[in-house]
Amino acid sequence: MASRAATLATDRTGRRPGPGGLVLALGLALLLAAVWNVWSFPLDAVPPGRKALSLALIVLGLGAGVSGLAALARRMTGVLPALLAALLALVAVEGLLRAYGVPPGLIPTPTRVATALYRSRVVLLGDARVTFVQEALLGYLAGVGAGIVVALAAVRFPFLERGALPYAGLFASIPIVALAPVIVKAFGLEWPSKAIIVAITVFFPVVVNVVRGLQGANPLLLDLMRTYAVTPAAAFRLVRVPSALPFLFNALKIGSTLALIGAIVGEFFGTTGQGLGFRIQIEAGRFNLDIVWAAIVIASVLGLAFYGAISWLEARFTGWHASRRHSR
Amino acid sequence: MLIVAALTLALYWPLMLWVNAGAAQRSLDSGAELGCATAIACATQLRNPVLPAPAQLVRSLRTMSVPPLAVTSVPYNTLVTAGETLVGLLIATVLGILLAVALVTSRAFERVTLPWLIASQTVPVIALAPMLAVVLGQYGVQGWLPKALIAAYIAFFPVAVGVAAGLRSPDPMQEDLLTTYRASGWQTFWKLRLPASLPFLFTSLKVAATAALIGSIVAEISTISFSGLGKMLAENSRASDTLALWVIMLYGAGLGIALVAALGLIERLVTPWRAGQPR
Repeated sequence: MASRAATLATDRTGRRPGPGGLVLALGLALLLAAVWNVWSFPLDAVPPGRKALSLALIVLGLGAGVSGLAALARRMTGVLPALLAALLALVAVEGLLRAYGVPPGLIPTPTRVATALYRSRVVLLGDARVTFVQEALLGYLAGVGAGIVVALAAVRFPFLERGALPYAGLFASIPIVALAPVIVKAFGLEWPSKAIIVAITVFFPVVVNVVRGLQGANPLLLDLMRTYAVTPAAAFRLVRVPSALPFLFNALKIGSTLALIGAIVGEFFGTTGQGLGFRIQIEAGRFNLDIVWAAIVIASVLGLAFYGAISWLEARFTGWHASRRHSR
Repeated sequence: MLIVAALTLALYWPLMLWVNAGAAQRSLDSGAELGCATAIACATQLRNPVLPAPAQLVRSLRTMSVPPLAVTSVPYNTLVTAGETLVGLLIATVLGILLAVALVTSRAFERVTLPWLIASQTVPVIALAPMLAVVLGQYGVQGWLPKALIAAYIAFFPVAVGVAAGLRSPDPMQEDLLTTYRASGWQTFWKLRLPASLPFLFTSLKVAATAALIGSIVAEISTISFSGLGKMLAENSRASDTLALWVIMLYGAGLGIALVAALGLIERLVTPWRAGQPR
């Protein structure tokens, strides 16, 4: 059934190829012309005529680029449409910032950020290692592991479920930032305190979601298992685990974005002088926004890779679920 | 539930003594005047305890929340943060639902924007907050509104992802049934997809509420602010006033719990067909 829908979709779109690529290239060329038009001037001395020309080129280029991209994205899959959209946006932003002469202390242009990214790559990669590998990843793994264990225990022992689970819901709604200063004060400035913050952040969504998933198993299927005289362990593996997987992956995805934020926010309450959060805070204080944005770019790329990895696992393990049936 | 609470409370006292005894011993060894003789006795008197003794906690709770509506008291600042969070949550809900509808109806839109929506979540807001405050300030937007916008910025994503999954969740059988009824796309959306997405909406709203709370507190820490829990956290963290941090944390926890509980109440009213199910 799914394959029939897929062939129908290609038939429908395949019938009108459309000149999307050409329109997109035209838009991109117009945007590049807009940037080139004001490239050689310092930011505070762009002549009004040049500025107006650049603005007109940007409006035209964006219009052409977006409509071309929309036509193109109907037929393309993967990350290419998103990358093209980013390219369009970046060139347009570069043109706008240069045409308006926005000072780099407010918003730096993309080329300045790229330069800063290249120049301070050694420092920033060291920061990324501390923040991502030690704080976010280790904390995430610990939080997810503990969360699954506690969820299994809660489903196995009804006493725990009735006694402790309501508290899991309560604790899940505590804001981490309120927790962060207390934990940093208690566990010191080194990276483990931040990993603990991340683990606590990730723990509660995992517990709540996994318990919900394990208990949300279709009662008809459980009855069916009973009539087949399947052992409880096998019934658990065949019915409850699959029904919990979509909920688990939902929690994992939410946790992956929260993990990085938790690690970075934790660093604002004290570090030993390394980490992306520390770098962002200290360079923002010096109005050195090129490096701040470079650090943000690195954090975003890491977060995206993290989320992508989990989505890939989700597609492999829960491809049968109704919510993913259409997305392929 | 009460047994577990009693057990935790019973374990708290020895745990507190054990954790604080080391620090107390160290300050005794350094010859500080604490007014107590042994490490165990001092464990309940430390000025910056790792875990505060219950008596200390109750005392600071009382001093910090009386009178409740003074500018320096915690309840007043909690109310300020709550207001920012609620406005942010409202913006995030509207934005999230619109985005989810756009994501589900247009594959082209999803392919172009979804990776960047995800990427936007990993941008540490604390870095954007001061810039947002400056840029918005140029257009006359000041005070609580920038914080609400930052809260909305963090909170819209769980709503969008959750509602999008919910809109795609109806059983294929039900979709086929509506096709045999010759229902239009709009009718299918209104009568099947939207109700099917409501449970997902509330699940993600609970996540979004805590996210929005985090957002407004972070925004208060990193922008210029004169009230709110975040401003009190930043001040007391700099002053290393651990007891005050604990009190603020308790209030923040209370606020988070209250927000989620309120959403749970609304969920029961809006989706009564799920009310009997375990959650």
